[in-house]
Amino acid sequence: MALALEGIRILDPSQVWAGPTCTKILGDLGADVIKIESARRMDIARGDVRPMPNGMGIYPENEPGPDPWNRDGKYADRNRSKRSICLDLTHPRGVDAFKRIAANCDVVIENFRQGVMGRFGLAYEDLRKVRPDIIMVTLGSQGGSGPEAAYGSFGITLEQTAGVASITGYLGGDPSTSGVLFPDPLVAVVSVGLVLAAIRQRRETGEGVYIDLSQREMTTSILGDMVMDYTMNGRSRTPIGNRHLVFAPQGVYQCRGSDMWIAISVETDHDWIALAQTISHPELAADPRYATAAGRREHHDDLDALITTWTSTRDAFIAMSILQAANVPAGVIENGEQLVKDPQLVSRGFWEYSGPTPAETLPYLSRPFKFSKTPGFTRSPAPPLGAQTDEVLREVAGMSDAEIAELSELGVTEDDPLRFS
Amino acid sequence: MPNLAAPLDGVKVLDFSQGTSGGISTKLMAVMGADVIKVEPPGSGDISRAQGPFPNDVPHPEKSGQFLYLNMNKRGVTLSLEHPDGRAAARRLVEWADIVVANFLPGQLDTWGLGYEAIEAINPGAILVSIAPFGQSGPYRDFRGNEIIQQALGGLIYVTGEPDREPLRIGGEPSEYFAGFSAFSGALVALTYREAGGTGQHVDVSAHEGVAVAQMYSALSYIFTGEERGRHAASPLYRVADGQVGVILRQQDWAAACEMIGRPELEHDERFTDMAARRVNQEALTTIIDEWMRDKKKDDVYHDAQERGMAWGYIADTKDLMESPQYQHRDYFTEIDHPVAGRLTYPGMPLRWGDSNWELRPAPLLGQHNAEVYSSLLEWTPDDLVRMDAAGVI
Repeated sequence: MALALEGIRILDPSQVWAGPTCTKILGDLGADVIKIESARRMDIARGDVRPMPNGMGIYPENEPGPDPWNRDGKYADRNRSKRSICLDLTHPRGVDAFKRIAANCDVVIENFRQGVMGRFGLAYEDLRKVRPDIIMVTLGSQGGSGPEAAYGSFGITLEQTAGVASITGYLGGDPSTSGVLFPDPLVAVVSVGLVLAAIRQRRETGEGVYIDLSQREMTTSILGDMVMDYTMNGRSRTPIGNRHLVFAPQGVYQCRGSDMWIAISVETDHDWIALAQTISHPELAADPRYATAAGRREHHDDLDALITTWTSTRDAFIAMSILQAANVPAGVIENGEQLVKDPQLVSRGFWEYSGPTPAETLPYLSRPFKFSKTPGFTRSPAPPLGAQTDEVLREVAGMSDAEIAELSELGVTEDDPLRFS
Repeated sequence: MPNLAAPLDGVKVLDFSQGTSGGISTKLMAVMGADVIKVEPPGSGDISRAQGPFPNDVPHPEKSGQFLYLNMNKRGVTLSLEHPDGRAAARRLVEWADIVVANFLPGQLDTWGLGYEAIEAINPGAILVSIAPFGQSGPYRDFRGNEIIQQALGGLIYVTGEPDREPLRIGGEPSEYFAGFSAFSGALVALTYREAGGTGQHVDVSAHEGVAVAQMYSALSYIFTGEERGRHAASPLYRVADGQVGVILRQQDWAAACEMIGRPELEHDERFTDMAARRVNQEALTTIIDEWMRDKKKDDVYHDAQERGMAWGYIADTKDLMESPQYQHRDYFTEIDHPVAGRLTYPGMPLRWGDSNWELRPAPLLGQHNAEVYSSLLEWTPDDLVRMDAAGVI
């Protein structure tokens, strides 16, 4: 099967979520992705070297094992289809090795705090000296300029500072953050296309480029109507819970069983009539108070109570089938187990399995798109720390066995984190 | 001549999509230099034109903030795909296009004779990007989907909100935008393959799967540990005098945080010395931080914490964003003049491309480029245009 991105090589010192997820997708689609860390400063998604009980790590069967840094689910999911190398970038020979690898790469993707790559001597200008048409992408928190350029963030910070949280929350309540850290995967998926646009430009013009992306701005960019409401009407929107500014009724309704819920959304008057008939209240369909969306918004609480009476005695999945059969938008609020078993996701092969060891036979997230001719797939499980260091130094950096041995002796390619913790 | 960024210069995009997901995907392409022809149904146009926000809340098809934002830099034509002459014109536009984007109900393009097989027969190099709530296959293919339904079935809602209340959706249209970003990247993957010597192909984007990619922790927790993640705040929000501040305390932040709240002695207080201890004594810690926060201002706490290396945030509302010195410094918000809607401030491009600038142009009026596009690409005469207009084709 053809791979769409065969022949593209990415050098990837990025960490945590957005960067690694972007490069994982590129790897699944055929790019050669070289993930670079050091045993002293691993990707923090690998978790602690010596995890405490009840820590943040997610391990297969809750068992960290002798090498927990290779087993954490966050690391394993975001770093498939890559090669892993260790280089100490605080050592001049590590920097030299990085440059020799970069000289044979198309793209460098990083998300350190502003200035870190420069302090290593690995800024865009430094890398251009070893490869004039290199493409470098910085997935920065705030972008590389401005008074907050050096500020750090996690996805949860960005939900707050980019404005998403200001319109997330219960009706009439405080703004709140989500449970999923949405900005990271959002930045990851759009960055796939940005990298490829830069590669296309290089093919057309012969020139590389430095891309300075602000994750905060990218997150605000999904709030177009919210911003335009302010610029048009001076209005800062506030949380409206599960409701919609226009569609009504819309909400999350309790179903039979523990913590089971269904989302129902009435987009049109026609949907409303269908819903009223389905929940055995055909008289509501004829009630003039509810004939328009404006009327239904005015009586939203009453309608919520009527809908809950119907949903609360029903299984959520059965309720969804009944409502969808009546052409009413409805969807179960799925938890982790239900997602893994979701008939739609399973039918489309969304979950991917990647290898023989316990961490590798678990289902992993795949990609948000399918290609008819170049499907892409998990090409290899997430590599153990430094598993391909020698191979990459030999094949990509063109080093001799003697040079590789020397780097090892100097500790530049050390790949045992236990020595530093 | 200003130095303009146009990495997609020369890429031809035929955009049948409506609403948010398709709109944002082709807007990114258009701002990056692609020639995007947006095809709208005659009369009402794109559904976004009927959605707000509108100035003073007065609906007007050329003044929808959502439409104006999602359709910058595109050319706009009207064409009825319900009409046989409209479908014939669409087939000729497919000959011209490198990328075709659509988000009709699955199967709709096939009934018009414009499904992927038909497109491939017309133009083997063409890339069809189909966006749908649940994709083009599977048992839920024909389900009704929209923002809250996609967030529900994709696992976002279950883990958001308070544990003792109903689960909560994320505000705005994150799943629609996620699908749009996926369509943008999917198109670029297929274009990369084609321009390296491959053929065109069909890219199938599912908003549901986008959400399932985004939720991650809920599925990972179940898969790896058998436990549900449930609803709990990923980091606590504290109330300050003028809003809320988000606090993150990693191990390396602890000393700086004690210093910042004027309680350096807490650094070695055994109730709080490591993450595990802080979790056990969360209530005591919350009280201490809460008392310190109450009379502070969100901006002051945010900057103070960040200057000390802590990745704290504050809840920014739209006004805060518009007044953010950071956004102003990077000229993130941009004024654009539109012939009907006038001068308005828009969110700009969230990235810099080398030393170049993005050129941002206003969204098209309904059918603005009919004459230009149909005469140059389909060689229609002025008489043809009049005839097609009278017949309701354009």
